[in-house]
Amino acid sequence: MAKITQDQAHFFLLKVNSLMGLVPIGVFLAFHIGINSLRTVGPLQYQLSIDLINNLPFLFGIEVAFIYAPLLLHSMMGFYIYFSGKRNVRHYGYARNWLYTLQRITGVIVFAFLIYHMGTTVAPKLFYGKHQFLAAPFLMDVLNAEFQTWTGRIIYLIGISSATFHFANGLWGFCVSWGIIIGRNAQRNASIVFAMVGLALTALGFATVLEFSIDPVPVTPTVGG
Amino acid sequence: MSDKTIKLKIKRQDNPRSKPYWQEFEIPYQPLSNVISCLQDIQKSPSAANKVTVNPVVWDCSCLEEVCGSCTMIINGRVRQACTALVDQIESPIVLEPMSKFPVVRDLLVDRNRMFRALKKVKAWVDIDGSQDLGEGPIMADSVRATRYTLSECMTCGCCLEACPQYTKDNAFLGAAAFSQVRLFNLHPTGDMHADERLDEVMGKGGIADCGNAQACVEACPKNIPLTDSIADISRQTSLKLLKDLLLK
Repeated sequence: MAKITQDQAHFFLLKVNSLMGLVPIGVFLAFHIGINSLRTVGPLQYQLSIDLINNLPFLFGIEVAFIYAPLLLHSMMGFYIYFSGKRNVRHYGYARNWLYTLQRITGVIVFAFLIYHMGTTVAPKLFYGKHQFLAAPFLMDVLNAEFQTWTGRIIYLIGISSATFHFANGLWGFCVSWGIIIGRNAQRNASIVFAMVGLALTALGFATVLEFSIDPVPVTPTVGG
Repeated sequence: MSDKTIKLKIKRQDNPRSKPYWQEFEIPYQPLSNVISCLQDIQKSPSAANKVTVNPVVWDCSCLEEVCGSCTMIINGRVRQACTALVDQIESPIVLEPMSKFPVVRDLLVDRNRMFRALKKVKAWVDIDGSQDLGEGPIMADSVRATRYTLSECMTCGCCLEACPQYTKDNAFLGAAAFSQVRLFNLHPTGDMHADERLDEVMGKGGIADCGNAQACVEACPKNIPLTDSIADISRQTSLKLLKDLLLK
């Protein structure tokens, strides 16, 4: 096999970065928001989904390979991309140029939000032994507390909408960057479809926040500890 | 003539290394003037608005019919050609600045060499001389001819790059104009024989994957070249080449 040049690595990483936003990160986001919205159906449904996920085999491996590692790489590439350009909507305020700018800004917002979000929901896991840790009651307690304050609600509303925007607009970017949609009409039609995907995910996320905020039900374990 | 005047505010710079400064000018109004004719009037008696004699403003122009691209500058905050910027149609005072993405030579004159280096890098030509005679070349479908004609209208003026948020003074980005030329020459039946060589040149640092799809280029293009179609098309060609290189080589 021939040696990979720096140029080839650069091109490959940017292509993969664009693809990573769809698989696995985008798919994870859609599942994450979708499964969490079970909370709007009822606390039990939400609790069962958490129990199911937390009892998956090789969970730690799955989380690292499909969530943490891609997120870290996507973030690092994102900051590289952020600093490689210079936003100029002040002089050239076209719609797409705004979306370009927002894509970069929401990327930074989501990065900050994830540090907070993982700090409250994932980090504590590390401090419990695997067998003493009960995910569902713990998570429900954390989230109930967070959604009691407007600060917590606003942090989540901004985080969720930034993530769904970044995903929906990134889907469009992926399709153009990989050459799947080319012509102007195709690009416009695709942007309408992806906007609807983004709005649907945002609605699901907001509904979950609303449910947690108005009905903080404490939960007892479904399985013995 | 009435005592109407045209007011101009021009960003000046004496040499490539000196600091830019602003100077205001006021010249007698003439109907149907464009920015070039204003600059010519200033050249006739170069005095700033406060009547102090100054060096005439330096600018570049050639065709005066928006096909050469050399008089491209920033007029009232937006990049465009000075020859088609008609005084009666633009806001006053007219604010002139050199393009910000290229090194300034003097006043409004910039060095667009980076664009021409990019054209060389992507091999924006059809090879005709080889070790053997390539003959007349295949016939081109008229639809391809029409697409190529539009792309061939690029005058390397730099508007697309000036408006591009991804094209900065100090990075290696090739920019929309070069990508569109790759499409132009890959569409040519004889040019297609070297398609992969051109694609290789845009599959690296500063290449097509660096494009952030802000699509400011296509809005700024004075020739209405479908630059974003070209970018997406070259994205497809390079994506397919990447997969081919990974799976078939």
